[in-house]
Order: sequence, then structure tokens, then C-alpha cells
Amino acid sequence: MKRDYYLQLAARGLRIPIGIDLLLHEEPDPQRTLRDGSRLGQVAEHAARRYASPLAIPLMDLTLEKEDLLRLLGYPEGESETFHFPEAPGLDLLERARDSSHAPFSVRGQAHIDSVRYIAGKTELLPVGMAIGPFSLMTKLMADPITAVATAGMGMTAEEDAGVLLAERCLALAEVAVARSLEAQIKAGAKALMICEPAANIVFLSPRQIDAGADIFERFVMQPNLRIRQLLASAAADLIFHDCGELADFMVAQFATRLDPAILSLGSSRKLWEDAVLVPKNVVLFGNLPSKKFYSDESMPVEQVEAMTLELVAKMRAANHPHILGSECDVLHVADAAASIRKKVEVMISCGV
Amino acid sequence: MADLNKLFDAILKGDNKTAAAVTKEAIAENAQPMELITKYMIPAMSEVGRRFECEEYYVPELLLSARAMKGALELLRPLLAASGAQPLARVVIGTVKGDLHDIGKNLVSSMLEGGGFEVVDLGTDVTPDKFIQAIQEHKANIVALSALLTVTMPMMKSTIEALKQASLRDRVKVMVGGAPVTREYANSIGADGYSETATGAVNLARQLVAS
Repeated sequence: MKRDYYLQLAARGLRIPIGIDLLLHEEPDPQRTLRDGSRLGQVAEHAARRYASPLAIPLMDLTLEKEDLLRLLGYPEGESETFHFPEAPGLDLLERARDSSHAPFSVRGQAHIDSVRYIAGKTELLPVGMAIGPFSLMTKLMADPITAVATAGMGMTAEEDAGVLLAERCLALAEVAVARSLEAQIKAGAKALMICEPAANIVFLSPRQIDAGADIFERFVMQPNLRIRQLLASAAADLIFHDCGELADFMVAQFATRLDPAILSLGSSRKLWEDAVLVPKNVVLFGNLPSKKFYSDESMPVEQVEAMTLELVAKMRAANHPHILGSECDVLHVADAAASIRKKVEVMISCGV
Repeated sequence: MADLNKLFDAILKGDNKTAAAVTKEAIAENAQPMELITKYMIPAMSEVGRRFECEEYYVPELLLSARAMKGALELLRPLLAASGAQPLARVVIGTVKGDLHDIGKNLVSSMLEGGGFEVVDLGTDVTPDKFIQAIQEHKANIVALSALLTVTMPMMKSTIEALKQASLRDRVKVMVGGAPVTREYANSIGADGYSETATGAVNLARQLVAS
């Protein structure tokens, strides 16, 4: 799509939550829906219609690429959530992952891809794909990614430190898995892809080390994501870059200027009106109401959601930066708080309009 | 003669190799393990905590320092056991059932060890039964429950209920923490204490032991 498309959505005051999980849990059997691509696509369509969004944003299931990768490498299914490589995977595994580009996806992975296909084929909505980013996937493949990356930040090389080697190999595997997922979603019709890098934040990457000259942000986050960006560009697919982690200013600036996303989606720890100066005018800022707290009427009463919405709208208008108001991340269904969460999403969309 | 200030500096900088080398040198020279711990290692971790609190250090620095501390502590452990030295208290820690997040729990675990506590880390997705078993086996004074998810937070309450059922509640202090957890929530489920930060958790544990 042309950049103007997203800029126009911002200009007309679009407000959208990433809300498909709420609708998924209105299904009689959500687990079954997760395995049925057409049905999952219909849920994404219903979410877009309910929230009057021209973008059909799929489920933010950031477990799929890890599950797929481990499956490709022959690890037992069902252990994906807790699996960590105990030592650096060999180059043979990397080769095996690279050689598996045509292997079938898992049932859930295929359903995710088919949900994009449904949107692309059966609706006029913009089919958006979704994948975890390479760095965030890397952190899920290791038991202690923070120390390993910090050790690299101290200047240790993969030859000198087993943890650094493990991190580098896991990152290489992660990039292969993310690329495979994105290629399949593009083939299914995705016109824009949301890359989620919630772990690329100051908890995993020390600003102190980076200020002192460590290249860890560049090596572990920017370089793989720049290659992913290139992959999308070569397929004429747009990048929606999402990072709801706690970020330093330079991280926001690098994402905005070097990855050049159509939309940059940030978490509620950021003040978007202050970030506007870090972000080029052709990058739409998305977010960033604290939807992770919507479950709690105590810490986030509905009146506060309304006040924050109005403040964000006013300040982004004053900052004169293209902005689509939305949630800071996917709005998750919480069984005991479902009605309260829905109410707050409605307020977010409708107040002051 | 080992320069023990280098042990302090190595832990502060997260230099595990130097921390281990200085500790080995000190052991070879018959240094008193408790002196190394109380005069150099715990103060170093306290300084790490202070720098973390004032945002001079970040989580990666904290974990590097904790790794250096742990490495040195492992070298001293046989000597400590032989001398009959006792930790400040024993803490059983884990992320509650259904929750696989461990960063916050690991930070608290590391800071507690750095603060002189013996820590039994049960990992993530820990059932109430596992907490109970570990408390009994290790004769723990404190149990620390962590949760990152709003959907797993109620498992803290279930775990405390299970402690009551097992008649352990009066024998063990319960502290809770994690991103969505609030002091109000901690009070509502009957926890003895709540901390918002890893360094605060050390102070809390000290208060709970003293009370």
C-alpha cells in the first residue's frame, strides 16, 4: 500500500484496539477456532467490523514461530512453551531449518496463515499478517538471554563465551523461522505485516552498555530486523513494527528511521506526543493506551481510560504527528473481567468523538 | 595476598571470571568465607541494588553482578558447609502455576542470594503442591510467589490457601510480586508482604525474618 493510505487513516481519526482475542473468546470453542483458518479469519473480520477498522489484524499469537521452528528441527511437539536450547545449536540445525522452507506448518500455524488468506480472499479489509520478531523469538529459545546478551555487551565473543555463542545461534535460527512465517503469510495475501519485538527493550538490552559503545542493539535487534524489512520490501508488503516493551529514546528513533515502518506501535511506557520528534512524519504512531491494565477497575477505572484517551488525542493533535489511537498491545480476554475490558475498549474508541 | 577489594569491584562490574579468580586465591590463602561474603560480596550486591534503584544500572548489569556473586558463592559453599555457617533465612521462590515468566523471579532470587539469604528456586509454573513440598523439605522461613500475568495472579491466592490447608501458613511468611500485582491485591489474598522491586524484596525479606 502507499504510505498515504496509513496517513489518511490517521488523518481521519481512526481508533482501533488490537482486539481479536476478545472476539475469539466469544466463540463456543476458542481452541477449536485456533485450529480452523477460515473460522479464525472470520473472527479477525468480525473484530475489524466491530471496531470499524479497515485493517484486519490477526491474533497476536507469538508462540507460533517457536513451535514451528522446534517442529522443523524434530523436537517433540507439546514442549515448545518450556523448551530452551541447553547449549548452542549446531550449524547442522541451522541448515536443517533453512532447508525446511517448504515443510508444512503445524495445524495452528497453518490456521494462522489461512486466516490471513481468508481476509485477503473473502473481504475488502486490508490483510495484515503477524509474527514475533527475531530478537524476541531468540529470547524464547534460551533460558537466560539477558545475561548472554549482556555478556556480549561486555565485549565477549562467541568464541570466548558459550552464552554468547548460544545467543548468536538462537538468533540465526529465529530469523529463519520468522522469515519462513512471513513468506507464507505474504503468499497467503498479507499486504502489511506486524512484527512484534516486545523483548527489544531496556530489560534485555542495557542502555548503559550501549552508551559505552556496545553493539548489542545493532547486532541482535537492528540487523536481523533490517533483513526482515528487506524481505517485506521485496514483496511490496508494509511493515507495522510493534514493541510494547520499555524503550530508550534511541531505540524508538532507530526503529522509526531505519526500519521505516508504515506504522510504529509502542507500549504505554512511552509518551507518544514526545516520541513524535523522534519519528519521521510519514510513520504513523499507533497506540498506546494501557490496555494491559484494563482488567483492573482498581488500577485503571473506566474514567481514567476516558481521561487518558482524551489527553492522548489532544496531545497528538498538538504534536501534529500522524496517529492512530489504539491499545498498547493486544487486548487480552480475562475471564473475570471480560465486561469491564469491553467497556473500556468501547470508551477508548468512542469518547470525545 | 589476594586483594579482596577486587572481589567487590568484580561483582560490581559483573566480571565473573575475576570474581572467581580472586575468590580462589583467597581460599588458597585460608581467608574466612564469611568475611568474604559479609565484607565484600554482600556490600557489592547492595551497591548494585542501589545503582539499579537510581537507574544507573539496568537489569542486565544486575544479572551480570548476580552471576559473578553466585560463581564466587559456589566456590565458598563447601567451606561454609564445613564451618556450619547459617544463612540469614531460607527462601523458597517460584513463579506460580500457569505462568512461565521468570525474569522478575530471577532478579529477586539473585538479589536475595546477594543479600545473604539461601534461595531455593523452583522455577516457573510451580504448583501449590511443589511449593508445599519445598517448604517442608528445606524448612523455609519465607516463600516468594511471582506472577506476570493477570490471568495467573489468582494462583497466588490458591497457593496461599493451599499453605493453610497444609498447616504451613503459620510457619512461613509469604511475599508476592510481579508486574500486575499491587499492594492492595497482596493484602486481599493474605500475603505478608509485597514489593514492587527486586531490591525492595530483599528489605522486605529482612523485615519478615525480623518480625
